[in-house]
Amino acid sequence: MIRRIAFNLFAWTIVLAVAFPLFWMVLTSLKPQFELFRRPPTFLPETWTVEHYWTLLSSTKFLTYFKNSVILSTTTTLVVVAIATIGAYSLVRFRYRGRESLAFLVLFTYLLPSVVLIIPLYLMLVQLGLSNSILSLVIAYTTFALPYALWLLRSFMAGIPEDLESAALVDGASRLGAFRDVILPQLLPGIISTALFTFILSWNEYLYALVLVNSDSARPLTTGVMNMLVSSFNIEWSLLMAASVMMSVPLIIVFAFLQSYLTRGFGAGGVKG
Amino acid sequence: MAEVVFKDIVKSFGSFTAVHGLNLTIAEGEFVSLLGPSGCGKTTTLRMLAGLDFPTSGSISIGNRVVNDVAPGERDIAMVFQSYALYPHMTVYDNIAYPLKKRGVRKADRAPMVQKTADLLQLTELLRRKPRQLSGGQQQRVALGRALVRDPKVFLLDEPLSNLDAKLRGYMRVELVELHRRLGRTMVYVTHDQLEAMTMSDRIAVMEGGKLQQFAPPNEVYREPANRFVAGFIGTPAMNLIDGTLANEAGAWRFASPGITLTCPPLTDDAVSGPACLGVRPEDVLLGEGPIRGQVQVVEQTGHENIVVVKIADGIRLTGRAGADHVWRPGETIQCAVDVSKAHVFAAGPSGQRLNRPLTKDQPRLAKEGA
Ligand SMILES: Nc1ncnc2c1ncn2[C@@H]1O[C@H](COP(=O)(O)OP(=O)(O)O)[C@@H](O)[C@H]1O
Ligand SMILES: [Mg+2]
Repeated sequence: MIRRIAFNLFAWTIVLAVAFPLFWMVLTSLKPQFELFRRPPTFLPETWTVEHYWTLLSSTKFLTYFKNSVILSTTTTLVVVAIATIGAYSLVRFRYRGRESLAFLVLFTYLLPSVVLIIPLYLMLVQLGLSNSILSLVIAYTTFALPYALWLLRSFMAGIPEDLESAALVDGASRLGAFRDVILPQLLPGIISTALFTFILSWNEYLYALVLVNSDSARPLTTGVMNMLVSSFNIEWSLLMAASVMMSVPLIIVFAFLQSYLTRGFGAGGVKG
Repeated sequence: MAEVVFKDIVKSFGSFTAVHGLNLTIAEGEFVSLLGPSGCGKTTTLRMLAGLDFPTSGSISIGNRVVNDVAPGERDIAMVFQSYALYPHMTVYDNIAYPLKKRGVRKADRAPMVQKTADLLQLTELLRRKPRQLSGGQQQRVALGRALVRDPKVFLLDEPLSNLDAKLRGYMRVELVELHRRLGRTMVYVTHDQLEAMTMSDRIAVMEGGKLQQFAPPNEVYREPANRFVAGFIGTPAMNLIDGTLANEAGAWRFASPGITLTCPPLTDDAVSGPACLGVRPEDVLLGEGPIRGQVQVVEQTGHENIVVVKIADGIRLTGRAGADHVWRPGETIQCAVDVSKAHVFAAGPSGQRLNRPLTKDQPRLAKEGA
């Protein structure tokens, strides 16, 4: 009994410690500017206001950055999931020389810190004439999201019994047909985890966006908001908090939609023995 | 024509050879079992027939057409997997309808076909369920339904009953035989269970270590096992296999081992003096009287009979079957005999050839003999 209470207390302490900055962010974004620096600080705003949100949407480039981020993250996710799915299928189902070493080589690239790769990547993109575009970021993010995605999907793929695919082939499906009808539905939880991982990664990425893109038309939210609201002389706290809240909303929505898929059964019962 | 022919089939996985030069001709409409212990290459053989694995060398034909380069879906076969391999995300209906869909049967035409199959297998109530909501037996029937819904040339079944409990297995054996009789299709049935093979097959292909040991009807496999492996593998309780020596005495072959000496049944010209093995089925051991003296070690009562294990010398045991009415006691001294007319003699070694001359109908029965 005591132990349970102690455990609950412990768990809730951690939850609060993690959640508090988020609460504070939301509350700050809803306070008028003059209330921010008051001593002692107010916990709940004395006056509730959404003027910061309105300012961001109407008189800054926030929406452009937001659109860029959506395009960037969605494209990266699609590209990474598509390539990783096909790659994982190949690594698991086909037997060829160097298959295992290939898989490890892929993981090895993931172990390199991205700071090391950023300059060579930048130079390559400049030479390709792709610098300063959303596409350059899609390529950059793909290079570091893909290895991990490949490994994640590979383990999911290995969990799908080969008999399922064999059965589909005997039933008259082509390899592609069997992949679409049988493998893909089984792989769905894996694909969703991978998509989520990639989306969050590209949505929050800062360093590459800072180095590779410096035109407002291509900036994603992370660098855009920093650039707009944080300068050496001044930080627009209210606007920054409002922007942060709005940046978090898409992730929360995506999670809310997909988490039920993540926890749903992995097709148990299809294959016995 | 749906004759299935394996010609000199070899299958290697890297340096390991799973199937060694298999030659097998399965007649149209025949029910053939591939029988052998786990790992002997049965599944590999079946997968090659299905087109899921490719032979390293040799050719496979179905109905006079070499199918080595034909995709599984175009071989006009249906297969039931040991794991059932039901599509987990599809309903029972969609599982059964899938082969039809993939072969371009129109949606409206599929429904009555699925319905008919479901009726046949008593699955009508379950058509809306997902595989994970079914019991093992029901899943097995769905897997069967997916194979039966079309009318393929050849049915391939890989240990379809091995995941069922004993009672259901017995029931499904009868059902499958009945199904085969009704459909008249060629069926290739993989099993490690000799009872299944014996009760269901027209012919049994006994395999061991990737090699075909014997291909014959069940009673022939039982009564004239081609070699020592087949003799020991088929039959429960297993055949008594006693190592000893063979010697030619004035034109007649005599077998001798500690505890037993007897005159052999007629042997072929391959018989040579030296080490050999005597095989006697438990039902051909006569308990109670005879020249062989031993001590009862174990008595297993099955209800309708007693299985009696008799020690006749150090390390040599003879298992016999006796009626249930006489109970032998462990420790008791017992006399017994061997029905020499039904005894087998095998060359030395774990897969020594059978040396008996083939049975002829009017072959004179020899008298009981022993000691
Ligand atoms: N894909 C494979 N790679 C390597 N070895 C295999 C493969 N498939 C089967 N084998 C080997 O071939 C032998 C025969 O296997 P299998 O045909 O599955 O036996 P069973 O008679 O039990 O069905 C086994 O020793 C198995 O380990
Ligand atoms: Mg097998």
